[in-house]
Amino acid sequence: MGAAAELPAAEACLDRLLSQVIAEGLCVACGACLGLCPHLIFLDGRVAAPDACGLSEGRCIDLCPLDPAPEPAARRQRLHQALGSSYLPPIGPVQQAWQGRAPAADLQGKAQYGGVVSELLSLALEEGLVGEAVVTVAGQRGAPQGARARNRQEVLAAAGSIYAGGGALGELNRALAEPTDHPLAVVGLPCQVLAAANMKAHPRYPAAAQRLGLVVGLFCTMNLPARALRGLLKEEGVQGPVLKSDFPPPPAGVFQVWTQAGLRELPIAKLRDIRFPGCAFCPDLTAELADLSVGACEGRPGLNTILVRTPAGAALIERARERGRLELEPAAAESMAHLKQAAENKRARAAQARTERQHG
Amino acid sequence: MADLTKLTPGQRTLLQGNEAIARGALEAGVSLAAAYPGNPSSEILESLADSAASAGIYVEWSANEKVALEAAAGASFTGLRAMASMKQNGVNVCQDFICNLTISGTKGGIVLVTADDPGSISSTNEQDARFIAKLAELPLLEPSTPAECLAMMRFAFELSEQIGNLVVLRSISRLSHTRAGVTPGPLPASRPRPYWDPKVAWHTLPTVPRHRVMLEKLAQAGRIMSAAGFNAYRGPERPELLVIASASSALYAGEARDRLGVASRVGLLKLGCTWPLDEALLLKHLASTEQILFAEEVDPFIEDGVKALYAQHAPELGVKRFFGAATGHTPPVGELSPDVLASALGQILGREPATVDPAYLERVAERVAALVPPREFGFCPGCPHRASFWAMKQVLAVDGRDGLVSGDIGCYSLAMLPTGFKRANAVHCMGSGPGVAGGLGQLRGQGFTQPVITTVGDSTFFHAALPAIINARWNRSDFVLVVLDNSATAMTGFQPHPGTGQTATGREGTQLDPETVLKALGVPCQVVDPYDMQATQQALYDAVQASGGVRALILRRVCALVQNKRGGHPYTMSVDQDKCRGQDCGCHRFCSRVFRCPGLFFDEAAGKAMIDPVVCVGCGVCTQICPAGAIQAEPRKEAAA
Repeated sequence: MGAAAELPAAEACLDRLLSQVIAEGLCVACGACLGLCPHLIFLDGRVAAPDACGLSEGRCIDLCPLDPAPEPAARRQRLHQALGSSYLPPIGPVQQAWQGRAPAADLQGKAQYGGVVSELLSLALEEGLVGEAVVTVAGQRGAPQGARARNRQEVLAAAGSIYAGGGALGELNRALAEPTDHPLAVVGLPCQVLAAANMKAHPRYPAAAQRLGLVVGLFCTMNLPARALRGLLKEEGVQGPVLKSDFPPPPAGVFQVWTQAGLRELPIAKLRDIRFPGCAFCPDLTAELADLSVGACEGRPGLNTILVRTPAGAALIERARERGRLELEPAAAESMAHLKQAAENKRARAAQARTERQHG
Repeated sequence: MADLTKLTPGQRTLLQGNEAIARGALEAGVSLAAAYPGNPSSEILESLADSAASAGIYVEWSANEKVALEAAAGASFTGLRAMASMKQNGVNVCQDFICNLTISGTKGGIVLVTADDPGSISSTNEQDARFIAKLAELPLLEPSTPAECLAMMRFAFELSEQIGNLVVLRSISRLSHTRAGVTPGPLPASRPRPYWDPKVAWHTLPTVPRHRVMLEKLAQAGRIMSAAGFNAYRGPERPELLVIASASSALYAGEARDRLGVASRVGLLKLGCTWPLDEALLLKHLASTEQILFAEEVDPFIEDGVKALYAQHAPELGVKRFFGAATGHTPPVGELSPDVLASALGQILGREPATVDPAYLERVAERVAALVPPREFGFCPGCPHRASFWAMKQVLAVDGRDGLVSGDIGCYSLAMLPTGFKRANAVHCMGSGPGVAGGLGQLRGQGFTQPVITTVGDSTFFHAALPAIINARWNRSDFVLVVLDNSATAMTGFQPHPGTGQTATGREGTQLDPETVLKALGVPCQVVDPYDMQATQQALYDAVQASGGVRALILRRVCALVQNKRGGHPYTMSVDQDKCRGQDCGCHRFCSRVFRCPGLFFDEAAGKAMIDPVVCVGCGVCTQICPAGAIQAEPRKEAAA
């Protein structure tokens, strides 16, 4: 009897991913399912699977942060437990909260806010804490895609936020499949950080548990489909490649885009219209399952807020401070209160969206 | 094919039906032969092309069938004998011209050969092209054997000149491709010099009087045909059952009658001249029997004609029982066979046909099935179309708007099957791909948002796609035109076409390239090598994302079989057994199961993918689909560039 006939009759993993996530419009292009097998492909910010795979025990659906099957809180509790941390809404476990910046001159004007993520990655690579860092860069047509940075120059090339789904975790999967053993870092949105936690906790993904040494989370307001964003910008007359973009903290209510022609601001409502529908169900503002999370600092455009969540995150921050690579100060209490409130609000919106979906 | 002028007159030789048709034309003194290739007709023109130099005649592959027949008509107007050959679909392509030519009339003998394909062995339809004879009121001949092919072709040219009109000869797949003994006759010592008297005009006006003349020509043809000896009766004077048959079905009917041992009860009227019907002959035989069975492929062409004749003479003939397609005794689709006719005869005569024990047949089928590997229609190893449709599949999936592919006729029609990832959503006839796409692309204003790709081969591009492309350009339709340019009319046997620059007889022609034509039409156009999967995918995606107007992508890579003849492909392929993840790939045999190149297979014993060195041509494309990088391509030292 051929091996094909011995395949379990259970529903194929890919079929579940297609029917429960992609066909439902929930995919946010995090890339967790990419790079594991050739069936799932990614182009211009979109994930697709043109062929049937037939396997029932593939990892694609298991790693998907949008898999609707597990109840979100239960899943997060389980993952925190697996990672040795605690599930503590609304912003997750926080060992230390800082606000700060990287003073290095080469980061100025390139990195988002205070340049903390770029500096931390650069430091981790320089000092051999990790061998490669998986980041998101602008690829063809300006659509984001995963890339690997091995030195400061490559980190700087990826500096600055790209508010569009880039499938970067596919690159992480490809890196983990290679026959090397150096630790890896990954920078991701909350959905990607959740997927990274799925990878580390997955019983059939030992490479992730062994090699994924640093997970840097980004605060996430909204993630956008690359093609729809390009269409919107074209519609709004924004010409040429986007050099930088930003959702400044409330109450700005705008999306800022820098091109060669200068700054354009679009009302945030227009961005909400095109965002990934799956983002509506995300309760996580601050990437709770990361080693450390980084975002904007309210009222201080030149600084980042940094939430240190794990010993690995704390060690890296401490190393950066010792080397003079970061200038840090304790996060302002008022700013943290506002952050928690914003996180509560996102959590409540997600719960409501989930309830509405469940009840049609 | 062979140079048929080298055959020795009077010396019996083995000839294919199509060769016999060609030899008959040569013996009749044909001076110009033109055709568009298509199975089962192609060998007719190939034989003539290979005989052209010796015979001193002009032979061409034309851009399409209409052009072929028009060229033949031109020669006829100068007094030369000429012919056009085609498969059944081609008759549709030139139907408009036929229906006008029949009114204008002709001078030199002119014959249209249609080679039909009952059973649709290699066709997209199963059309019975005999109806063109009724439609255009033309004489129709149906040979049964290669010898008759030759004889009828000689007769057809004579008949055409006698009545001054086109004559149709209909072959079928089994006859065109069967071989049998034929005794060739002499070739003409000379042919007339072409001349068109400028005082003579060939046109259809005044139409009605000329239409009347056309009918008189047909009646005259009927009288000539009845004396030609192609209709024959074998059997008792007053048969219990009369079988009226044509073409191969006449042979099947004779075999069925012998098998049942009912030769004394069943008469067989074999008709070689099937339009107009020989009324006197038919009335005589109808009067001799009470029961009639029709044996013909595909449609009840003779059956309906005879019934109509009977209706006119029913008072004299009395009550008759007719059996055939109308009663279900013969199928109106597919091929006939001795078995089918034996069954029909047995049913009518109350005789159980001698059949093989069904249980035995079942056991044989099981044994054979176990021995024969599953074999489906598929692109050849190394076929560039596999890579092209792979790109279309990937791109339309990731585009996510339920994009469609409007296919066309050629090897790439197989894209409707798993070999092309079922990525052709519609396939009909030559040139219909861009035509259908043109309509779809005009529905944007009514909410139709699905992207549309249409595929045409290089030969199809010149055959029939251009009017649809021009129409789309003119009316600003919105679709992506993909020209699958494999530099050959591959499906029908690598005949040259305008894009190759070669001609039927090897004489150098003018090479036309699709991009120049498209640029002249103002259609933006990019040429990409489909073997470069990444580049093809990107170019196709960009073309799909663009909107407004027709934009073209020419995926150019020579047909894998042509490349084999040119010295082969550049690589020796292998699968690194250490790198191949086998069953643990996570892809469930992606290379052999999904990509489906016959050069790849899964070794059940080893649990790994393997290259079949006998089948693999070494194109190297599959290196791009293996997620583990296990498929490797080593450059072949002796490979052609």
